[in-house]
Amino acid sequence: MSSISFPVAVMPVEDTAKHVSRLTLKSQLDDMALLWPWVESLAVEHSIPADTVFGVHLCLEEAISNVIRHGYDGQPGNTLTVDCASPNAHEVVFTIEDQAPPFDPASGSLIEEQPVTSPMDYLRPGGRGILLMRKFSHSLKYERLAGGNRLAIGFSLPQ
Amino acid sequence: MQLSTEEMDGGVTRVELDGRMDIAGAAAVDMKMNLIAGSAKKLLIDLQKVTFLGSMGLRSIVLPARAVLSKGGKVVLFAPTEMVESVLKASSIDTLIPVHHDLATAIAALQ
Repeated sequence: MSSISFPVAVMPVEDTAKHVSRLTLKSQLDDMALLWPWVESLAVEHSIPADTVFGVHLCLEEAISNVIRHGYDGQPGNTLTVDCASPNAHEVVFTIEDQAPPFDPASGSLIEEQPVTSPMDYLRPGGRGILLMRKFSHSLKYERLAGGNRLAIGFSLPQ
Repeated sequence: MQLSTEEMDGGVTRVELDGRMDIAGAAAVDMKMNLIAGSAKKLLIDLQKVTFLGSMGLRSIVLPARAVLSKGGKVVLFAPTEMVESVLKASSIDTLIPVHHDLATAIAALQ
């Protein structure tokens, strides 16, 4: 059973308090049901507007399902973490870490900007879903770790 | 995720989706959508009550739509919410499957 725990850490207080909430998921799609209540609670905590929450759900679902289906190749027994932090009053950042082989959705090379000619264009792994993720987030930052991947997805908060 | 169907005048099959079209929601309706697509020739997919649409949800719409289109049928998407429509537009699906907000216009597009 996966766990939801928030907050698991309170970062050093600087100008703005940086609370980090963490969700740990198993590498199985069923575990993604845990995302919804977690994100909804964070939306309240960080006053994230509904439209942005929609984008958060969309991006996390895409990124995490990519990790589970492609990064881990659908194999159970692995885990990934999702951290949520608000580095300042204007932004909330969700950071996904896994121990899968390299996979960089922030790379333009994975986004094939081809004309849409067939509905099948939307069904290619690593294709249009990632394009959606780029369109609904404010920033995507990928980092290759020693034994995994880190993807930070940023969302702007209204002033 | 709930799915209901209605056979309308003119041979139009209306499929109403209700809930979140996330991974779980998509899995819940995939089989029914494919069964409907197997027999429908004029398919109206009612999105009024869809509160979320992710890429797997898109897949659950596009695959049956493709099945209908491939046999010469027609498909329209009806009344998505603003955010759901933004997903349809961002993925350019609206260029392949027309989106209508007026029911009479949606039905007319299927004739």
